[in-house]
Amino acid sequence: MRLVRQLLRRLRALTRRADVERDLDDEMRFHLEMEVEKHRREGLPPDAARRAALVSFGGVDRFKEEARDARGVRVLEELAQDTRYALRMMRKAPGYSLLVAMTLALGIGANTAIFSVVDAVLLRPLPYEDPDRLAIVYAQNPDRSAPRFSVSYADWLDWRRQNRVFTDIALFMGGTSQLGGGAAGEPERLQAIYVTDNFFPVLGARAAAGRLFLPGDAERDGDRAVVLTHGLWTRRFGASPTLVGQTIQLGGQSRLVAGILPREYTLFGDRGGDVYMILLPSMIPGVENHAQHMTQAIARLRPGVTLAQAQRDMEAVAARVAAEHPDVKGWSANVFGVLSEMTRTIDQPLLVLLAASVLVLFIACINIASLQLTRGGARARELAVRRALGATRRRLVVQLLVESGLLALIGGAAGLGVSVAATRALVRLVPNGSVPRLEEVAVNGRLLLFTLGTALVTGLLFGLWPALRAADPRLAPSLREGGRKGSAGNVQSARLRRALVVTEVALALVLVVGAGLVVQSFRRMLSVNPGFRPEQLATMRLSLPRGRYPDSVQFDFYRSLIDRLTANPAIRGAAAVNIPPFGGGGIVTNIRPIGQPPTTDGSKLMSPVVVVTPGYFKVMGIPLLRGRDVAWTDRNATLILSSSAARRLWPDADALGKRIAFGTRDTVGAEIVGIVADARTRERTGDPLPIIYMLSSGASSIVRTMTVIVQGNAPLPVMVGAARSTLRELDSTLPLYNIRSMEQVVDASVAQPRLNTTLLSIFAAVALLLATVGIYGVVSYSVSQRTHEMGLRMALGARASDVRGMVVREGALLAAIGIVLGLVASRLTTPVIASWLYGVSPGDPLTFAGVALLLVAIALAASWIPARRATRVDPVIAMREG
Amino acid sequence: MPVDNNDVLQGTLDLLILKAVSLDPMHGWGIAQRIQQMSREVLQVNQGSLYPALHRLEDREWIAAEWGVSENNRRAKYYSLTKTGRRQLAAEAATWRRFSAAVDAILATS
Repeated sequence: MRLVRQLLRRLRALTRRADVERDLDDEMRFHLEMEVEKHRREGLPPDAARRAALVSFGGVDRFKEEARDARGVRVLEELAQDTRYALRMMRKAPGYSLLVAMTLALGIGANTAIFSVVDAVLLRPLPYEDPDRLAIVYAQNPDRSAPRFSVSYADWLDWRRQNRVFTDIALFMGGTSQLGGGAAGEPERLQAIYVTDNFFPVLGARAAAGRLFLPGDAERDGDRAVVLTHGLWTRRFGASPTLVGQTIQLGGQSRLVAGILPREYTLFGDRGGDVYMILLPSMIPGVENHAQHMTQAIARLRPGVTLAQAQRDMEAVAARVAAEHPDVKGWSANVFGVLSEMTRTIDQPLLVLLAASVLVLFIACINIASLQLTRGGARARELAVRRALGATRRRLVVQLLVESGLLALIGGAAGLGVSVAATRALVRLVPNGSVPRLEEVAVNGRLLLFTLGTALVTGLLFGLWPALRAADPRLAPSLREGGRKGSAGNVQSARLRRALVVTEVALALVLVVGAGLVVQSFRRMLSVNPGFRPEQLATMRLSLPRGRYPDSVQFDFYRSLIDRLTANPAIRGAAAVNIPPFGGGGIVTNIRPIGQPPTTDGSKLMSPVVVVTPGYFKVMGIPLLRGRDVAWTDRNATLILSSSAARRLWPDADALGKRIAFGTRDTVGAEIVGIVADARTRERTGDPLPIIYMLSSGASSIVRTMTVIVQGNAPLPVMVGAARSTLRELDSTLPLYNIRSMEQVVDASVAQPRLNTTLLSIFAAVALLLATVGIYGVVSYSVSQRTHEMGLRMALGARASDVRGMVVREGALLAAIGIVLGLVASRLTTPVIASWLYGVSPGDPLTFAGVALLLVAIALAASWIPARRATRVDPVIAMREG
Repeated sequence: MPVDNNDVLQGTLDLLILKAVSLDPMHGWGIAQRIQQMSREVLQVNQGSLYPALHRLEDREWIAAEWGVSENNRRAKYYSLTKTGRRQLAAEAATWRRFSAAVDAILATS
């Protein structure tokens, strides 16, 4: 209570300063008058009495100051005074202040933008209970370098029973479903997630309405109940509060809405699907087979169990399972924390970018510090006057710091604006879903705190040293000297400024080298021939619901669809494939080349299998090297090998006409009817992946969704419209989705390297600009300081070119030292981005040399302008001024 | 001019001020005079110490201030002892007595 009253009084003392001051004055005057009266009573004449009183009283102002001190408002008052003073100084030098604030806005803005992404993607906890205790469990096949493989249902049953490290393990599997269609309105394809009934308890998610699935639901209700995401509930059902408990039609079947998920729910950063259904063993073909890797597993760690312990236990469990089942020989398990797994491809680039943005801010600070030093020289006289009037060193330092702090805060506020704009551009630059949780980027308390902290640290960083130096009485010129050139302080601060520029050049060089490497690598990556033609292709996904399209009719459906599509005059060719280029997932399976000896260790060969319809290679522009394409008329599923697959499986023989068996029980196998050129449809760089293409009739039971590729030179909407109307003739209830041109698909596959490249290039450009300004500033300041000397030299017969050379040499020398230091620093730091680079080594000598030359050229240019000014000095004026 | 060694010891000034205003409210000048009189002209209070001390004590809420009219019809700031101030006075007086008795005892042993 007392504290509050005291605080209020102090605040009043601050806000009603005039009143408080008047009170103090009144009190002092009263005292003085009483003193005068006393002296008069003692018999002194009025004048003498007054003098005596004044003498005994001493300086009134000193007491007032002390009385104020006793009230504890001085610090605050000084701060207010310094702020007012700083604002006045800023108004006096608006150009300078604007330059500093803008430089800071750029630096702080870049940092805040990257930090806001780091915050959303890496720092914010996942919206589950104790997300730190959640783990993703993969199957892994160490011999075949497949560390993150889906889990089979049979594995899950064993793992769940035998492990001692998880409270429980749950499975989920992506799928599709459909709402509407026909009479029920525009069909919408839904992303369905099939989950085991213990999924939500393991995840620790809670319902926004109704209830989520609980263990035991599968036995009681089967797959009748569904849980909707908040998004679907609001989009299609108007967030109706009575929906829970009602029946809806999904994919042609009646489902009971059991509950609604909360708005913030996501499935590991993904949108989290639209609808959740219970995963029943009957939905998985060959469910008892341990090699049927179809589902993803999440698990909750028991209290006190670490990820490393979980890993050890799961490896032991998997080894026991593998010992019992020969078809999982060589398989093990792999345990990861959820958040680190979600962000595993993005965290390193983000942290590198954050470091790069910090470097930019640091360079900005150096530039401003250098400016402040220059200005400190110019303000030496002002500070000398203040010191003479009794300002202490502490007071001067505080005042100068308040000035830089204020500038930094203004820069920070502008930087926040810059970052909001930059982040918005960033989010647009990144295709949906390629960076998890990016859409959660928002200005929040943590971000504001980060900006404020960055601004204050920045202010201290660029303000403290210049302030300490400017306020140092040993370095300051006397009043008499009046800030004359060439005093000890000036020489020292010139040396300091040169050191700053050298640092700046070195740091900028590191950034430019990094950007140079990344840009080259990106260009090389783009120039890699993908082995297919992405032009004039439209891609769209189509999913056939199991209910109306049994496995046996899928093949015929696609045959008539593609026949009709190619009959359309706008369409030149059409085909379908189970996964589009660069799409994840797909089929990887055990294979056995018939006639080849088994592997020496008895383990199984694995290969990706891409399921296609006839015409795929022609539409994609993948050359058929030998044999023929698969055909609609093939009685059994036929195969085509990519040339690297053919070489791998039959290194010493012709693969054409040979057969490959799939799984352990297959003894007949499928015939290889053709060999095509390698195409990079899975990865941009590296050796082409050996691929087995299979006619879609052979995979009807596992492939329900295909990407239809339509070729034609009409614009995308026209082609899609043609495809849609053709599809409607066959089935008006089927939606087409994920509609993109093949060029967009290819583009999206390089989104992340493009983002890294763009951002790093922007940072490097800003750093280069700042370094140029820095060199220019130092050289031109030094010229202005040496006008006298230049004049003297010219008067003594130096030619203009000599003087120019002298000035340029100074700039070049600084740059050269900075460049050498920067090259060493780059050599040490570029290995950090080695994993981003393709076709360029982190120590690429050409890049290093090129960037060094670039900086030399910039340094020469930045020194040339002041050098020319130096030669225009009129010797007479220069010497008189000196 | 007050002689330096008669200047009131820092710290004891608070006690003297509290004592001076304990009888009835008094303005700053009056407090200085009263301390001088009560000490039989031995102790003189420097204005430079008095006013900061008054403001400090007011800040601690040991004394309260109020504008009033002085004996010669002038506006003056009157200080009076608060409840906490009275407790503080009793405590500080006791401490002082103990301290001075202790010093006396030491001096007496010589």
